[in-house]
Amino acid sequence: MIPILILAIIGGGFAVFSIVAGSLAGPKRFNKAKLESYECGIEPSPQAFRGHRFPVKYYLTAMLFIVFDIEIIFLYPWAVAFNSLGMFGLVEMVLFILAVFVVYAYVWRRGGLEWD
Amino acid sequence: MSDFHSPSIAYAALSPILIPGIAATVGVLVDAFVPRAIRWQTQTAVALLGLIGALIAVSVLAGTHTITADTAVAVDGPALFIQGTIAILGIGSILLVSDRSPGLDGGAFVAQAATAPGSQEEREGAASGHAQTEVFPLMMFAITGMMLFPASNDLLLLFVALEVLSLPLYLMCGLARRRRLLSQEAAVKYFLLGAFSSAFFLYGLALLYGYANTVSLAGIQAATVSSGHNDNLLFLGLGLLAVGLLFKVGAAPFQSWIPDVYQGAPTPITAFMAAATKVAAFGALLRVFYVSFGGLGWEWRPIAWAIAILTMVVGSLFAITQTDVKRMLAYSSVAHAGFILIGIIALNKSGLSGSLFYLLTYGLTTIGAFGTLSLIRDPDGEATHLSRWAGLGRRSPVVGSVFALFLLALAGIPLTSGFTGKFAVFSAGVSGGATPLVIVGVVTSAAAAFFYVRVIVMMFFAEPVADGPVVATPGGGTAGAIAIAVAATVLLGIVPQPVLDLANRAVPFYH
Amino acid sequence: MRVDYYLYLSAVLFTIGAVGVLVRRNAIVVFMCVELMLNAVNLSLVTFARLNGSLDGQIIAFFVMVVAAAEVVVGLAIIMSIFRSRRSASVDDANLLKY
Repeated sequence: MIPILILAIIGGGFAVFSIVAGSLAGPKRFNKAKLESYECGIEPSPQAFRGHRFPVKYYLTAMLFIVFDIEIIFLYPWAVAFNSLGMFGLVEMVLFILAVFVVYAYVWRRGGLEWD
Repeated sequence: MSDFHSPSIAYAALSPILIPGIAATVGVLVDAFVPRAIRWQTQTAVALLGLIGALIAVSVLAGTHTITADTAVAVDGPALFIQGTIAILGIGSILLVSDRSPGLDGGAFVAQAATAPGSQEEREGAASGHAQTEVFPLMMFAITGMMLFPASNDLLLLFVALEVLSLPLYLMCGLARRRRLLSQEAAVKYFLLGAFSSAFFLYGLALLYGYANTVSLAGIQAATVSSGHNDNLLFLGLGLLAVGLLFKVGAAPFQSWIPDVYQGAPTPITAFMAAATKVAAFGALLRVFYVSFGGLGWEWRPIAWAIAILTMVVGSLFAITQTDVKRMLAYSSVAHAGFILIGIIALNKSGLSGSLFYLLTYGLTTIGAFGTLSLIRDPDGEATHLSRWAGLGRRSPVVGSVFALFLLALAGIPLTSGFTGKFAVFSAGVSGGATPLVIVGVVTSAAAAFFYVRVIVMMFFAEPVADGPVVATPGGGTAGAIAIAVAATVLLGIVPQPVLDLANRAVPFYH
Repeated sequence: MRVDYYLYLSAVLFTIGAVGVLVRRNAIVVFMCVELMLNAVNLSLVTFARLNGSLDGQIIAFFVMVVAAAEVVVGLAIIMSIFRSRRSASVDDANLLKY
């Protein structure tokens, strides 16, 4: 019970801290785009979608997200059984993360993370 | 969950799999951080080092029998023999891929795969002289999967290895520099059909898991000899699993993708697919059927007979009707898959060792044949139409004779490696009680010899066509790969005994 | 509650996916049908894990998901490139490779 409480306090504290610190430290410059309703960053489009296509940039971002996101799936069973897996599990997981990190470095260097 | 025990992993025994994997990862880093000017050379070096390292690891491990990573990986004679074969074929393929000499028009690969064919960006990319080097890490990842495939001792690992080897191949099919629409089409076809077949494989896996409550091959074998299991699950699962594996080896009726994909893909990749993929897939097929389902031979043999006969007949007959040399070689690879299936159906030690030997000889000859094919060029790329080859042997006796040698080996003419391989498999078939199958094999071999000889006659006895294709001067890579293939084809035909002994010592499977 | 109904459901889903691959013409839709087949397999695996009382099936389902995601990325990249060259994703339009 105690660890969960501590986790909840730390988690809640971090959220409150982030919001407060952001509003205190960040610059406040509003423009039209920022005040519009949020639609994944594109201009809100009331017109019919037919005939319009998403730019290919979205495709790349979405694919990168899927690849990196799905790797997390292996972390869940590992985290659940962490205590009994011990050193072996830790080493294997570090190797796995390392392999993912290599790909991340590749994507970054080849400009996969740049929007324009 | 407290009863978990860490599996012991014998990293040394896994080194033939790990070394190409590390080389692939290093290749990704090279692509990210090494300056563009020296990237191509660096990638070639990394890939070749990885493969030579794997070959050394295989030779050091020779004679090992062990099951490691719990029960997931079996390092035994057949696995090591196949891994060594794949390393050698990989070296040949990398040599073909790395060749960017002017005679070959700057290599077989597109400068930037993301540019649309015929666009301004494509012309700029080609003019800049730079080329993307992703093909090397992709090759190495595919080879890693192929190394793992025949050593997998449970179905889950088999599936992961299947995907690790397939996904890079789908991409590499679409990278041709010339005739890009054809190449992209080949990639889409291969991908959709490949994903379709791996879904079947996976459903087979699920049903066998339901049947045996385990996915380890030995566990499934144990379940087949004990009672109290649902046999419907077993036979459905076995059938679906076989569809996935037979698709990869290109056996009829799952061969429809082979000619299209082999024709559209860049020729070095076609060579790689025809040789290494087939070897790895047969390695896995052999293990699954010898280890898990060997005791059920009476149940699946009739269907396997039908598939083998169909494969041999379809491969040979369709090859005769082709007018494109690349498609002809593709159908010939289908026919060869049928011949090797005889070795599986034999279900005995000589069937296994004969198949291993056949795979080695067939793979090396195929690499050489496709490598030679890439030298015969028209202004718009390779001249693959048969009519363009008329009189080629007279105009360029060396290239003509080398190609003729490979064709004779594929036909199985004595004193070439193809004959020794066919003899090994066919005699195992006879001793395994599959004599009718062997007779079909001999008849279709004779039919197949017809179309190989037709090409040779065309090359040496027909009048050369006016403004015929030029014979390019190969760069070091292509020349090296062809030289290795010629040497192996001749040596394994004249003095096959040392390698046959090696294959005989490699059997049986350890489980 | 009988667990084996899930196996029948999974077989039906797998069949729908397989038929879809064979009859649909748009490469994206064909690919979605393949994904349906993979998910049908996942359902089978989890059901068998429940029936057999072992965890292996659930772990295998994780692997299937990861492989399916990798397949999506590779597959959409290939379909995308052919779409950009031809402005069509129909598998009937891809007909250059015939003898």
